[in-house]
Amino acid sequence: MKYIIETDHLTKRYGANVVVNQVNFHVPKGKVYGLLGRNGAGKTTAMKMMLQLVFPTGGSIRLFGKDCRENAADIYRNIGSIIETPGFYGNLTGEENLEILARLRGQFCKNAVPDALEIVGLNKEKRKIFCDYSLGMKQRLGIAAAFMHKPKLLILDEPINGLDPIGIWEIRTFLTKLTRDNGTTVFISSHVLSEIEQIADIIGVMHQGFLIEEVDMAELRNRNRTYTEFELSDGQLAVKIIKDHYPATNYTIQDNTLRVYGPNHIVGDMNRDFALNGLIVTKINPREENLEEYFSKLIGGGGIA
Amino acid sequence: MLNLFFCELLKLKRSKMIPISIIGVLSTPLLMLLEALQTHFDKPELSFTLADIYKSSVLYSMLLTNMMIYVAITAFLFSREYSENTLKTIIPIPVSRSRLLIGKFCALLIWILALNFVTWAGIFIVCGLYHVVFKLEKYSFPAAIVWLPKYLLGGILMFLTISPFAFAAEKTKEFVAPVIGSAVIVMGSAALANHVWGAYYPWTAIYFLVQGKINSSGYSTALSVIIILLLSAAEFILTFYHLKTEDLK
Repeated sequence: MKYIIETDHLTKRYGANVVVNQVNFHVPKGKVYGLLGRNGAGKTTAMKMMLQLVFPTGGSIRLFGKDCRENAADIYRNIGSIIETPGFYGNLTGEENLEILARLRGQFCKNAVPDALEIVGLNKEKRKIFCDYSLGMKQRLGIAAAFMHKPKLLILDEPINGLDPIGIWEIRTFLTKLTRDNGTTVFISSHVLSEIEQIADIIGVMHQGFLIEEVDMAELRNRNRTYTEFELSDGQLAVKIIKDHYPATNYTIQDNTLRVYGPNHIVGDMNRDFALNGLIVTKINPREENLEEYFSKLIGGGGIA
Repeated sequence: MLNLFFCELLKLKRSKMIPISIIGVLSTPLLMLLEALQTHFDKPELSFTLADIYKSSVLYSMLLTNMMIYVAITAFLFSREYSENTLKTIIPIPVSRSRLLIGKFCALLIWILALNFVTWAGIFIVCGLYHVVFKLEKYSFPAAIVWLPKYLLGGILMFLTISPFAFAAEKTKEFVAPVIGSAVIVMGSAALANHVWGAYYPWTAIYFLVQGKINSSGYSTALSVIIILLLSAAEFILTFYHLKTEDLK
């Protein structure tokens, strides 16, 4: 079994509206797969289909190498999940809510609930009922519910929503530890791109129902992501010089700011040619494109999330 | 299955619906006490027994007050999983959608039977108070216990006729439609309570069956029961089918 999650032309259609369109996810074992996309891209629906909350109208889902419809009981015992804002019973404490989930799962172990509460830092609020929880506490309880039974796969939709920076850091550290120490596979979506960038091994990008990119982070870091930024006296003249002398170069120009992508061994030659042609170069900065820029470029930019 | 039922009960811990429903069903004993006091002061020549009070109470407990309360309970039990967003936490555990509904229906049945017991006990207690002050004829525990099986049978029949409201709560994912529906049903029941056709109106038929009025209406007991069972079966099937095929958006 190479992939923990593998979908084949997964599709969800509501009338004429195709929310998830022929999507093929490939999530390898023990990796963190970050799913990115704007609102309405189809991320949550895809995750809900994996969790049997929504029924696909086409395609198939294989989890742990098995068809998820045929081996549901065995498969889903090994999965923990959060979909959007976690839902719990408002009149019960966090401990009671987790006890219900553990009992329903048929794996009620006395220490599992307190241990999970301690990991997410809710062990000191034992008597507080869920409807009195802050947004961050609710999210923490959702995370505790997701990993309480030590699952082999975590499917997390926006798990850090509502968490403060320290909470985000704690959860990020915890997820990294889970994958490193237990080999847990994590399929996570988030609008906080910088967070995905920090923990994901693989990135999937969804846009208008399609999976438009599925790429290894290491490859992504090497692919066109470093560039040199020039501040010049005349952008148009710089473009003319590049076209004449460096026709194969990948670049962008905005006003008098020039970005030259790829390896920087030509930067020295380029700078010399700019100077020889009377251009004044006021700044040269080696830069690295962050995931947000890459993501914006990929899906048309602007108004992410 | 036992776990599912236990979890349904645990979900009700600290729930305001428990005291509210108990207070609600205690309105029937209170109304019976007021009726007894009114009769005592307005028509002192009339004598009545504990059995008479229980017989009168059936109108309130099977047809009016308790029915509305049970619909509210049903709406609460079946809509809360949507309003509190808990289905998406529970279904991936995995819990079979059918088993989840069975657990809910079991909890509902127990709750209804418990509340019918509370109503029965409440009547016995308030009649005891009346008996201490004014003397109630044939007031005794054996006289009361005769009515307990009737109350429990009524509870089971009410549970069966309440399934349409479970479906309405599941379909609309809220409280409003079932509660409005219950008002309509109760109005219909009240209108048919003194009419022989009531034997074939499922919600009034319960009242007729518990009071033993079906035979005097000239209609068949079996047909009344069949109508109740058919309504119940149709709505149970719809409720299960709906949840089993529903996308939880």
